[in-house]
Amino acid sequence: MQENAEALVTFIQQHCLWQFASRAHDRDENIDGVLSLVGILLTGGSPKLQTPMDRLHYANANQLTTEVKLKFPWLSHLGKDELFAVVSDVIKRIHEITVKNSKNGELYQPGY
Amino acid sequence: MPMKLLDCDTEIPEREQHVYIKEAGEDTTQFLPVSNAATIPGTLSERGCAFCGAKLVIGGVLKDTIQMIHGPFGCSYDTWHTKRYPSDNDNFQLKYAWSTNVKEKNVVFGAEKLLKKSILEAFDAMPTIKRMFVYTTCSTALIGDDPKAVAKAVMAERPDVDIFVVECPGFAGVSQSKGHHVLNMGWIHEKVGQVEPVITSDYTINFIGDYNIQGDTDVLQRYWHKLGIQVLAHFTGNATYDECRGMHRAQLNVVNCARSAGYIANELHKKYGIPRLDIDSWGFRYMATGLRKVGDFFGIQDKVEALIAEEEDKWKPKLDWYKERLKGKKMAIWTGGPRLWHWTRAVEDDLGVQVVAMASKFGHQEDFEKVIARGREGTIYIDDGNELEFFEVIEMVKPDVIFTGPRVGELVKKLHIPYVNGHAYHNGPYMGFEGFVNLARDMYNAVNSPLWSLAGQNIQNEVQ
Amino acid sequence: MGCSVTQKDRSGIINPIFNCQPAGAQYAGIGVKDCIPLVHGGQGCSMFVRLLFAQHFKENFDIASSSLHEEAAVFGGIKRLEAGVDSLIKRYPDLRVIPIITTCSTETIGDDIEGAIRKLQRMIAKDYPGRVVHLVPVHTPSYTGSAVSGYNVAVQSLITTIAKKGEPNGKLNVFTGWVNPGDVTELKHYLSEMGVDATILLDIESFDSPMMPSKDSFTHGSTTVEDIEGSANATASIALSRYEGYSAAQYLEKTFKIPATITPTPIGIRNTDIMLQQIQKITGKPIPESLVRERGVALDALADLAHMFFADKKVAIYGNPDLVIALAEFCREVELKPVLLLLGDENGAYARDPRILNLQKTVDHEMEIVCNADLWELEKRIKNKEIELDLIMGHSKGRYVAIDAGIPMVRVGFPTFDRAGIYRNPVIGYKGAMWLGETIANTFFAHMEFKKDREWLLNTW
Repeated sequence: MQENAEALVTFIQQHCLWQFASRAHDRDENIDGVLSLVGILLTGGSPKLQTPMDRLHYANANQLTTEVKLKFPWLSHLGKDELFAVVSDVIKRIHEITVKNSKNGELYQPGY
Repeated sequence: MPMKLLDCDTEIPEREQHVYIKEAGEDTTQFLPVSNAATIPGTLSERGCAFCGAKLVIGGVLKDTIQMIHGPFGCSYDTWHTKRYPSDNDNFQLKYAWSTNVKEKNVVFGAEKLLKKSILEAFDAMPTIKRMFVYTTCSTALIGDDPKAVAKAVMAERPDVDIFVVECPGFAGVSQSKGHHVLNMGWIHEKVGQVEPVITSDYTINFIGDYNIQGDTDVLQRYWHKLGIQVLAHFTGNATYDECRGMHRAQLNVVNCARSAGYIANELHKKYGIPRLDIDSWGFRYMATGLRKVGDFFGIQDKVEALIAEEEDKWKPKLDWYKERLKGKKMAIWTGGPRLWHWTRAVEDDLGVQVVAMASKFGHQEDFEKVIARGREGTIYIDDGNELEFFEVIEMVKPDVIFTGPRVGELVKKLHIPYVNGHAYHNGPYMGFEGFVNLARDMYNAVNSPLWSLAGQNIQNEVQ
Repeated sequence: MGCSVTQKDRSGIINPIFNCQPAGAQYAGIGVKDCIPLVHGGQGCSMFVRLLFAQHFKENFDIASSSLHEEAAVFGGIKRLEAGVDSLIKRYPDLRVIPIITTCSTETIGDDIEGAIRKLQRMIAKDYPGRVVHLVPVHTPSYTGSAVSGYNVAVQSLITTIAKKGEPNGKLNVFTGWVNPGDVTELKHYLSEMGVDATILLDIESFDSPMMPSKDSFTHGSTTVEDIEGSANATASIALSRYEGYSAAQYLEKTFKIPATITPTPIGIRNTDIMLQQIQKITGKPIPESLVRERGVALDALADLAHMFFADKKVAIYGNPDLVIALAEFCREVELKPVLLLLGDENGAYARDPRILNLQKTVDHEMEIVCNADLWELEKRIKNKEIELDLIMGHSKGRYVAIDAGIPMVRVGFPTFDRAGIYRNPVIGYKGAMWLGETIANTFFAHMEFKKDREWLLNTW
């Protein structure tokens, strides 16, 4: 499970820009927004997109989901619960790297 | 590996915090170069000044706007004929440099009268131009002029003109970056919202952080046009002043250069709720991904797929031809900051090229988080690189080609290493599908020039 | 009819003809060997100028910055200056000269450069015993003068700081002014042909630097500390430019009794004659037959061009003042008509320049010399049809005026980045006159073909 999450974390680090938004709260919003949608898409769900931000997160999530499904065929062998658990780990790890333990001193500056 | 102190920096050991060599298993929570910090004097750093970041990079790109530089004329002279951003307005933005021509007496007694006179003279000399940016420089910031008051007075006298003032003296901040910031924040707070754009499409974006270098904006604009997307404002490639005042009505902000213009995208989100989508508009695969994300946002996926198919049909064979011949080649990138993280994976995935050393002039830690996440192990990542460091790094990694500015390119030529202009390109544009083929072609021709091996032969010995 | 001298009547500038003082000071600084100028100000003051030099020469020059940041506006910049000198000395063990070039910011703040230098020399003596580094104060705020005066101030500062009385060395000091490496090559050729031992100030022939198999060739000037020290022991000085370097010759005359001669900038046949005869007079070395032949070759080449292709053609010239005036004089030698000269700063001395007075006296066609000019003065006269031009001579930053108006343009002066290799050619001397004439001719010829304007004339020229 750990390995699976790490593999996705490495992929996201290498390919995604939304995790590196300007401030901690922006990063959190993107991480939660995008990856929770990834969870829904991986488990075959239909996300409800109501706001512009929903559609933004969907745009990032959909491309990411397409790419990881190609890159990591083992995803198709996991059940719904396992998939959500992996995604939950990924959210935690991406948050750790880009927010919680980040050495970026600008993350908590007020204003842009 | 902990941060690296290069030999040439033994005497300035504080440089160690700015140089990182990535190793397996490491990530940016352990090692992240210090960035956007004070420059060490006398190191032959590559940095420019805040005025450069405001005028040369962003403001000067506008195609219908007088660029009035409030100060002695050198700042004006120096930011004229140093860029390659064309426009469809007869390249007005490339042909002229304005200065208030501050003299010693103005430094003593103030220069606001002079500023006002110069502004009026400039508008009178070119009666069809009604927009102006005014920039302060080192001296006019120090003497405490109030250029905003002067601008306000002129706008009251001449209601058909509009003036935006940027206070960006060269000594502000530590590099060009401060100038980006001041201009972005001033623009959103003072000018965005003043003009209502005419909406002609169901899908509207601003494209933020692209300055039409050698026609980059035009390449992307063809895509948006094909997709039926209206770009309210390019910030600021081939853009007008008033287009950029109408940014508040876009449904989506697509951002390429997050360093120079992430600020205004953030503020547009904060103030108007417009989502910010970061993409890479350099990179063959990246371009397709970026277009697909825009397609997903608007629900126009079919059109996007058709466009991508057309472009890939046309350009992928050429790209692959270069990939076959470039794979395994080693590249260094010594530019402003963002191109490090835009290009490092793209050249590897699209062309098989390995980026072995990178240096950023004015990147922040955010830029290093991105580049280190995307970049290779064994690669050297440098914040605020200086000339002696460049020599040492070349010895360490032996690049086949360096993407950097012309002056540094002329330096490494002495070491028989070709450069490609990483700022203004050799034969661009470099954005989009065709752009990456152009980049590949320039890299291929650079690396394969017979001149390098000829240069290495000493005719006093027997020549092979 | 005749030549009038006017002033630009606007306060602001549209398209400046030159850069500001620190740029000129840097141009002087890079002519010295084992020297890295330190520009005391914002980073742009050095970085933009390094780019400008790279555009012109296609070479990198080492120039450092004290990287003034905001706290200096409150606390002064001296700490940054001291740190800058320290960084340079520590990391460049062969460094012998650091011109400290001030800018508008540090002059406005009022940093005490001389005081800092005294303190730094004490530091060097203590921390680097045996190491000699000349710290040269160069005061060049950008709100006075221009790159022309900045160059002049820097050359004078180098001489003032480093020239040292010793044994007479029998040499002739030659102050070249703001020239190109090709000009220095031509000068050295003349001095060699005449057997004159000279110190060229500043010797920039090596700016045209090669790619070597050993990969150890980089770009720098060749004038050494010893050359500058020795300038105090010369037999005489000759200055080839009134506004760029003459002050240093005058200083040597005043301080070390070295007679200083100024000669009209040697562009064109007559001006070159005068210079060679001055050198002959000063040194006693005769002008050899070889130079008479070279003069003849140039005259022969120009005679093919003057009355057939140049006569009555109207020329506008802009750039450094000595260059512009001398080019105008050359133009008149080959029947070109200089109708507009643009001198780019507010130097009141132009009104008293004997060459300009002579033009006012002897020119019998309509000619205007605009002082304190910018390039808008050229562009607006063309746009308003106040002037009709057959040729523009000037640097590359005026290119769009020529391109948009469809007027042939010959690149001369500084910078000439939109053509290849210009700096390798002389404009001074007989070879320079020949190069100018043939370049003008070829420019006309290409234009005729492009415009299909009697291009058949050249079928049998």
